[in-house]
Amino acid sequence: MKLKTHLWDGLILFIIAAFLIVPLALTFLYSVFTAWMDILPTGFTLQFYTQIFTDGAFINSLLRSLVISFVPVCICSFAILLVLYVMTLYMPKLEKYVEILCNIPYAIQGVILAVGIISLYSGKPGFLSNRLFLLVGAYCIIILPYTFRGLKNTIGALNVKCVIEAAQVLGCSQLHAFFTIIIPQMKNGIISTMMLAFTMLFADFVVVNMIAGSAFRTAGIYLYQTMSKSGQLSSAIIVILFITTFIISTLTLMIQNKAVVKRGKN
Amino acid sequence: MNTKKNYKFYVLALIPFFIIVLLFEILPLINIVIESFSKRGGGFTIEHFVKIFSTRLYQQSIFNSLWISLFSAIVGIVIAFIAAKAMSNATPKIRSAFTSVLNITSNFAGVPLAFAFMILLGNVGILTLIGKNYGIDFLANFDLYTINGLLLTYIYFQIPLGTLLMLPIFAGLKKEWREAVGLLGGNSFHYWFKVAIPSLLPSILGTFSVLFANALAAYGTAYALLSNNISILPIRISQQFVGEVVQNQEFGCALSLVMMALMVISILITNKLQKKSGGVR
Amino acid sequence: MAYIEFKDICKSYDGQNQILKNIHLDIEEGELVTLLGPSGCGKSTLLRSLAGLEQIDSGRIILDGEDIADVPVKKRGIGMVFQQYSLFQNMNVEDNIAFGLKIAKMDKNQMKEKVQRAIEMVDLIGKEKSYPSELSGGQQQRVAIARAIVMEPKVLLLDEPLSAIDAKLRRELQEKIKRVQKELKITTIFVTHDQDEAMIMSDKIHLMKNGIIEQSGNPVELYTHPVSKFAAEFIGHYNILDNQQLKTLLPKHNFNNHYYAIRPETILLQTEPIQDSNMYVFEAVVNHYISRGNVLRYTLSCHDVIIKSEALFRSFTLFDEGQKVYVGIEPHNILEIRD
Repeated sequence: MKLKTHLWDGLILFIIAAFLIVPLALTFLYSVFTAWMDILPTGFTLQFYTQIFTDGAFINSLLRSLVISFVPVCICSFAILLVLYVMTLYMPKLEKYVEILCNIPYAIQGVILAVGIISLYSGKPGFLSNRLFLLVGAYCIIILPYTFRGLKNTIGALNVKCVIEAAQVLGCSQLHAFFTIIIPQMKNGIISTMMLAFTMLFADFVVVNMIAGSAFRTAGIYLYQTMSKSGQLSSAIIVILFITTFIISTLTLMIQNKAVVKRGKN
Repeated sequence: MNTKKNYKFYVLALIPFFIIVLLFEILPLINIVIESFSKRGGGFTIEHFVKIFSTRLYQQSIFNSLWISLFSAIVGIVIAFIAAKAMSNATPKIRSAFTSVLNITSNFAGVPLAFAFMILLGNVGILTLIGKNYGIDFLANFDLYTINGLLLTYIYFQIPLGTLLMLPIFAGLKKEWREAVGLLGGNSFHYWFKVAIPSLLPSILGTFSVLFANALAAYGTAYALLSNNISILPIRISQQFVGEVVQNQEFGCALSLVMMALMVISILITNKLQKKSGGVR
Repeated sequence: MAYIEFKDICKSYDGQNQILKNIHLDIEEGELVTLLGPSGCGKSTLLRSLAGLEQIDSGRIILDGEDIADVPVKKRGIGMVFQQYSLFQNMNVEDNIAFGLKIAKMDKNQMKEKVQRAIEMVDLIGKEKSYPSELSGGQQQRVAIARAIVMEPKVLLLDEPLSAIDAKLRRELQEKIKRVQKELKITTIFVTHDQDEAMIMSDKIHLMKNGIIEQSGNPVELYTHPVSKFAAEFIGHYNILDNQQLKTLLPKHNFNNHYYAIRPETILLQTEPIQDSNMYVFEAVVNHYISRGNVLRYTLSCHDVIIKSEALFRSFTLFDEGQKVYVGIEPHNILEIRD
């Protein structure tokens, strides 16, 4: 009976995993073969990858994606850290309002946020209608709930108030203590929160398509434009985008683990 | 004096956050509301909403959006529940392997996902070809470029998300409960339907709400798969701003407001249900 | 003039309920004094106001002849150990202890020497490079103590530093703190809600209740002569009786005060009638008893008045439940107390 349920559970997991993996795996296989007309593909090749990497336009779009995802993550995290600093040390009452502001983006996901921003700022004079500026702002809002929650939980796990008081008594100013003691302790939490936010933005299509469109070709837009031209090329792009995301998450995990190991050894 | 300096500093520290929120969250939100009730060129009107609710095209888009979101969320949550349950019984090795699969595939959405399904089940997709070559009709005749095809892709991205959200919930189930049910003479039907599911219900509803909103807002997959040939809200909204169709900003805002209302209503309903089932617990 | 003076200290968090009500308190240099009281009595607030971590509404705090009201926390020259573990998790033991010295820009060699001495003093040799997460709670608090004393503060504040530590280790740390304090002759204020701890540690105890100082004195004074019902209840297992109850027990004697306190161990029990004419005597019945280590605790009743008595565990003084006993109390052990 026990063994039977185990087998049954294993089978269920296997089927679900297969359903999830197949599209991904096929995309990869599709990118390294020239033709696929029957069960097995034919003509192994890496030409699509060389083609992509010799195409400056793709490299540029990939770099654009990395930068446009990274910058808002930094801005948003920095702004939220400052708010958390004030909130924990001086104005605990602020939390209620900040919480509400940080939850609103749940109701204005994706297309709604883009509509709000374009309809307000497009055609306005000066920097306000700068598409990049708007995109950075929109991205900050997209990741706001996740960044806020991640950082708040991180800071909530520390007894900030007491540690800062201890530092103060030892002759340290509050701000100095926050940056030399609290932030280093939050390092792992900050990195993983930023990573999550980054991968969200890196995968964005809707907001960049609506706000910037072809004026700022990120990898997502580039992929969309390639799709109608070449299937294999598109799947190679997908694989590269996917690997990029994967490398970023693995690297972050490694950094986190290293920090733990280092601390453990001493 | 010291406190005064502090006060100055912390007002300063709050400025970046509030500027970002004001410029890109609050003002755009207000603008959507104002423009939805504005005529082209100025003046108050409700004509946009009249048009939305009386034109077949837009009625259809609201209906489709709701239907796709509801259906994919329900299927997603059922599969996620089964997967999470199976995982809670599985050996640590299988569990961690499956978690990796979930983590990897949860990043797979939007345009890439649509494309993957195209090479799989599109007109010249691999499975479609195999279906044709070997006479497997349901593969050969499956039309990805319809609402059913779209549903399939939506269900795909709901599964990893739903399961990842469901996992910690299952960890909250206590072994003792099952033992207690056993001691009281109950079987596993009693356990699941009288104890486990009711106690998990608030969290399941929470997950459901996330999945629903996720599907409602999804755009990339549909856009890549069907371009503008499917009537769902995000597509109809974006059409008012980009593309060939005559652009109508105010009408787009009104559509956005309708979609936002759907989001808010779904959140409110979930909250209410959560409170109710929380009360029973 | 005392080394530390609290004068007319008032403090309220919400503008209505005063947490400190006109506190006057003098502390002499080199003393270890304890602020003792139940939670919410204001003892921690008073301590934190000396550190500058709480603003007082009115009053003056004088430390070493200087009014420190306008001195910022970081310049007050105070050492403090908190109830929660407050070590800097991202630094090892050495860096934690050196933190304050580094801020003060002390010479490297001198700093190293001082840190080493502090580590020796709290018995943490060999743990210099450990991180707080690798230390037990007791060790963490020892680091916190070292971190405070290495600064040679004018006064050391200990805010319930041992309350999160289990009983056996606590004993050890109490002695450690006391020894370090005597060695450095550092003026120390210790806050606790544990009367045993206060008895063991202090040169002087200030018992606090609802924002006022109820009673001050050395441990023996406080234990043997509580001035109020609250002090008697908080300090020992005193029997607290009103004059009616006492008259029920001892109808021949006169009691005019409202409340009286009798320490359980001053109550003598005997199977034979007590002949000592210096004692007040009455008869009672043993309700039940419990043995707690070397002490036996009896609960007696006499005409519905319940009294507790304690005696050292000796077999010949064992009484059974339900047994009738003769009770004797010396009159000077019946203390008059305030409400």
